[in-house]
Amino acid sequence: MLPKADSNDPTMPGHEQLLLAVARNRDSTAFRTLFDHFAPRIKAYMRRLGADSSAAEELVQDVMMVVWLRADRFDPALASASTWIYTIARNRRIDRVRQERRPELQPDDLMSDVGEEPAPDHQFEAAETAFRLRAVIGNLPPEQADVLRLAYYEDKVHAEISAERGIPLGTVKTRLRLALVRLRRAFEEGA
Amino acid sequence: MIVPAHHPAPELLLDYAAGSLREVQSLLVAAHLAYCPECRAQVAELEACGGVLLADLPPEPVSDSLFGTLMTRLDGAVATPPPVPAPAGKSLFPGPLRRAIGAEPEALEWVRVVPGVHLSAWGIGAGTASACLLRMAPRSRVPAHRHTDSEMLLVMKGGFSDEFGAYRVGDVASYDTGTPHHAVADADGECLCLLVQDQPLVFTGPLGWLLNRGFRF
Repeated sequence: MLPKADSNDPTMPGHEQLLLAVARNRDSTAFRTLFDHFAPRIKAYMRRLGADSSAAEELVQDVMMVVWLRADRFDPALASASTWIYTIARNRRIDRVRQERRPELQPDDLMSDVGEEPAPDHQFEAAETAFRLRAVIGNLPPEQADVLRLAYYEDKVHAEISAERGIPLGTVKTRLRLALVRLRRAFEEGA
Repeated sequence: MIVPAHHPAPELLLDYAAGSLREVQSLLVAAHLAYCPECRAQVAELEACGGVLLADLPPEPVSDSLFGTLMTRLDGAVATPPPVPAPAGKSLFPGPLRRAIGAEPEALEWVRVVPGVHLSAWGIGAGTASACLLRMAPRSRVPAHRHTDSEMLLVMKGGFSDEFGAYRVGDVASYDTGTPHHAVADADGECLCLLVQDQPLVFTGPLGWLLNRGFRF
């Protein structure tokens, strides 16, 4: 019996274990649990970015198909389950909705042989970092949280955020940079 | 291997991780990541932020039939093969650019701008942004030009300097709208860059009228 998934509990990285079960054993019960948790969130993400309900569900299927087919490439040391699924959702949307290619870095693209990122201390570090990150995002001043959410949920580059909100570009950049400094702390605490 | 000293602006990395950055600029960011452990770490952090925001979205119920439809589709699906490995021998191009171009520099066609300075015939454009390659012979100068919009250069071979700094392999030079600059290639070898622009440039100087007619770069 797999542990019940609880994304708010850093000691129980349930979604990560479920993904590993899908990768190792093609575990369809684990996949169903992941689907029940993530499908409504992926749908919400696509809806926020302008997809209508049926287009959003089409994208949910796309994303969950990739989750099933590529679960073996998930590495809990590098990313939490939500982060990994987020990057798939982001890229599928760019592909399908914007009809653009997403230029991505692949593992063997690195141009140097040395200076590689140190390996995390233990397997589920990414999930624990996500736990700290959630607290940092929750405590951002509203104007910083706002520019951050616009970037992720409204497909707006920072220049468009500036134009749309009538905020000078310099102010948008300052808010984003302040938010980024705070986010950074969530990672440094774990290091 | 020296790590890059000049990086894309932090908000550009955010736009890349958030998925709002368009294809042309994303290509330059992804290509820089191949050289830069620091920016790779930052993008990974910003993707983790995307993961948290996704997990915290108020869920929207999906149709009851959706899981069943998906499982039927999965029955017919086969696992995708792993990505094609890089060709044997080191490519001069970082992976994301190599995949976008599909050729090595020696196989590309070049258009001469002024003696010693060439632009690739290869290019991509999307909206008002465009990308192509810039090749400079040792000590050659890019003609003075002013920008009607922003410009970024990623160095992939050799190096160049201008009034703002010296740029080596992996570095990104960024110029805002209306910033004239005078790039001079290093003396010790050819310099090859990925050039990304938003809006065409307007050349100034004696040959400007000619360049503006012939080349929208």
